[in-house]
Amino acid sequence: MSAQFDHLLPDLAGLAEDSGYAATRRHAQQQLMAHGFPDLRTEQWKYTSLRVLEKRELAAQAGAPSALPKRPFDSIDLHFDNGRLITPSDQLPAGLSLTPLAAEHLAVTDEAGRAEAFSWLNVAAGDQAWCLQIEQSQSTPIRLAITTSDDFSTAAHPRLHIAVSEGVSATVVEDHDDHGQGLINAVLTIAVAASAELHHVIHRACHESVWIQRCDVNVAKDGRYQLHAVDLGGRLVRQDHTVNLSQSGANGSLMAVALMNTGQHVDWHTCINHLVGHTNSEEACRMLADGLGVGVFNGRIYIARGADDAHSQMSTANLLLSDQARINTKPELEIYAEEVTASHGATIGQLDDSALFYLRSRGLDAAAAAGLLKLGFAATPLDEMPASALKEWLLAQLRAAL
Amino acid sequence: MLTIKDLHVSVHDTEIIRGLSLDIKPGELHAIMGPNGSGKSTLGYALAGRDGYDITSGEVEFDGQDLAELEADERAAAGLFLAFQYPVEIPGVNNAYFLRAALNAQRKARGEPEVDAGAFLKMVRAALAELRMDESLLKRAVNEGFSGGEKKRNEIVQMAVLQPKLAILDETDSGLDIDALKLVADGINKLRDGKRSFLVITHYQRLLDYLDPDQVHVLAGGRIVESGDASLAKRLEKEGYAFLEQAEA
Repeated sequence: MSAQFDHLLPDLAGLAEDSGYAATRRHAQQQLMAHGFPDLRTEQWKYTSLRVLEKRELAAQAGAPSALPKRPFDSIDLHFDNGRLITPSDQLPAGLSLTPLAAEHLAVTDEAGRAEAFSWLNVAAGDQAWCLQIEQSQSTPIRLAITTSDDFSTAAHPRLHIAVSEGVSATVVEDHDDHGQGLINAVLTIAVAASAELHHVIHRACHESVWIQRCDVNVAKDGRYQLHAVDLGGRLVRQDHTVNLSQSGANGSLMAVALMNTGQHVDWHTCINHLVGHTNSEEACRMLADGLGVGVFNGRIYIARGADDAHSQMSTANLLLSDQARINTKPELEIYAEEVTASHGATIGQLDDSALFYLRSRGLDAAAAAGLLKLGFAATPLDEMPASALKEWLLAQLRAAL
Repeated sequence: MLTIKDLHVSVHDTEIIRGLSLDIKPGELHAIMGPNGSGKSTLGYALAGRDGYDITSGEVEFDGQDLAELEADERAAAGLFLAFQYPVEIPGVNNAYFLRAALNAQRKARGEPEVDAGAFLKMVRAALAELRMDESLLKRAVNEGFSGGEKKRNEIVQMAVLQPKLAILDETDSGLDIDALKLVADGINKLRDGKRSFLVITHYQRLLDYLDPDQVHVLAGGRIVESGDASLAKRLEKEGYAFLEQAEA
C-alpha cells in the first residue's frame, strides 16, 4: 500500500475483541492494506491530489472543545465536535432517537477498490458510529453542527446513519464550521423509507482541514430525497455523494454550489443510480473558482437495465473568475434501459462584460456589479428551495463569501 | 446639461464617431436619427462609459463635469442614464434587489441617505403602474424571460426610479407595438420637468410624434450632418436619408 499514508492507519492491536465493531474493523483494515490509497492514476481521483494529506503531521490528541455555532434559524441540534458527538443522545424531541449504530451498517462492499479507501479507513479507524432514527415528521430542521477547534490537528472519522421512517418528512442541515488543520473523514448514510421525504442541506466553510466525506443515500418507493448544498471551499474538500433510487416512484434531487479560491480545492463526485424504472432525478451543480482555486465536478447518472420510464436531468455550470483558476467538470451518462429520458449540459465561462456594464451603468461600482453577477450565478441552485430563515441564511453566507 | 465638442470615439481602433458636436440644455429633449451604422449606439455607449468605447479626442461636459474622467458607475451617480437598445438579461439577479442596490449605490455616491425597502417599493410600484407592468416582474430575474416590449418598458421603469438628470434612450421604441410605444412616451413625458434632459436615439418619427423634441439631429458617418426642429424628422420619414447624400453631393 501507499507507504506515505501509514500515519493514517489505526493501531488495532488494543481493540477489544468484545467491541461490536472489532471484526468489521479488522476486515476494513485488511481491505485498506490490500487496495491502498488512491492517487492521480485512480480514475475517480484523477484531478484531486492527496499530497497535502501525505505531508500533514496529524496529532494523536483532539483539539479544544468548540462552542455550538449560533445560527439565525430554529433547529434541533446534534453537535459533533472534533469528530465526536457531544450532544447527549437522550435529549431529543419526540420522534427522534439516537442509538449506537449496529456493526452491519458499517459494511463497505468488497468490490470497492482503492477509490473507496477512505470509506474503509472510516470503518477501520472510526470511533462510535451513530444511528439517527426519524420516526415522526419534524417541522424544525435537525442540525448536525460539525465543529473543529483552531488547534484541531488530528484525524477524525465520524459516522452517522440517518433513517427516515415511512411517510415521515424532515430537514437535516449539515452545518460544518471548521477551524483546524486535521483530517475529517466522514461517512453519512441515509435511508429514506417509502413515501418519506428528506431535505438535506449542507453548509460547509472549511479552513485548513482536509475534508473527505462520503454520503450514500437510498430512496425507497415514492420517497423523495432533496439536497441543497453550499460549499464555501476549503484547503482540500472531497464530497462523494451517491443516491440510489431503488424502488419505483423514488425521486432524487441534488442542487449544489461550490466556491474555491487560492489555496482551496473542492471536488464533488456525485452519482445518481436509477436502479429501477419510474424514478426521477435532477441535478445542478455550479462552481465558481477565483484566484488559484481548483474545482472538480464529476456527475454520473446511471440507469440500470430494465429501468424503463426513468427520467434524469443534469447540468453543471461553472464560472472562472481569474486567469489561473481551474475547473474540471464532467457529466457522465450510463444508460442501459430503452424508454428513458436523460439530459446533461456543461458550461464553463467568465463574467459577462455586457452584464457588468449594464449593472455599472445603473450606478453599481465594479466590485458591486461583479458581486451581484456572481451571487446571481451562485444562488441559482437554491432557487427552488422554499423560503425560510434557513434559506435566507444560506444566501447570506454566499453573499458574504462573494 | 450636456456639451459635446468635436468628439471622436474609436471602437477596437476603428473610428466610429468623427467630430461630433452637440449642446443639450437643461429641460431639452433632442432626438438623433440616422441610417444604420452611423454611430448612434456608439455615441450612447461612449457617453455611458462602456469599456472599449474610447474617446480619442474632443470634449464632453456633463453638468459641469468632464465625462471622460468618470467611470460608468460614477456617470450614473452624476445623473446620466442610458436605456439600452438591447437590455441585458441577468439570470439569478432579482429585479427589485438590483434596482434598489443601484439606487442606493447612486445615492451613497452623492452623499444622500439610502432608501429603505418600504419607500423603494412605493416608488417602483408607482413606476410599474405607469408602464402597466405587473408587479410580479419585481421578483423575476433582471430581464430574464421578458418579452422584447417588457424589456424596453423595464428600462423606463428603471429610469423613473433612478430619476437621472440626462436620459439617453437608445432605440427604446424599436420592437414596441403602438400601445407600448404610447406607454413609453407617456413615461418619458412624465419625467419632463423643465430641468431633466433627454437624448432620444431613434429610427422612426412615430415616437417623436408623442415627445415633441426641441431639436432633431441627423447622424451620418459619425458626425451630425443636419439639425433642425421636429419637422426634420417628418421630412426624413417621408424622404429617407437620400436627400442628405444629395445635399452632400
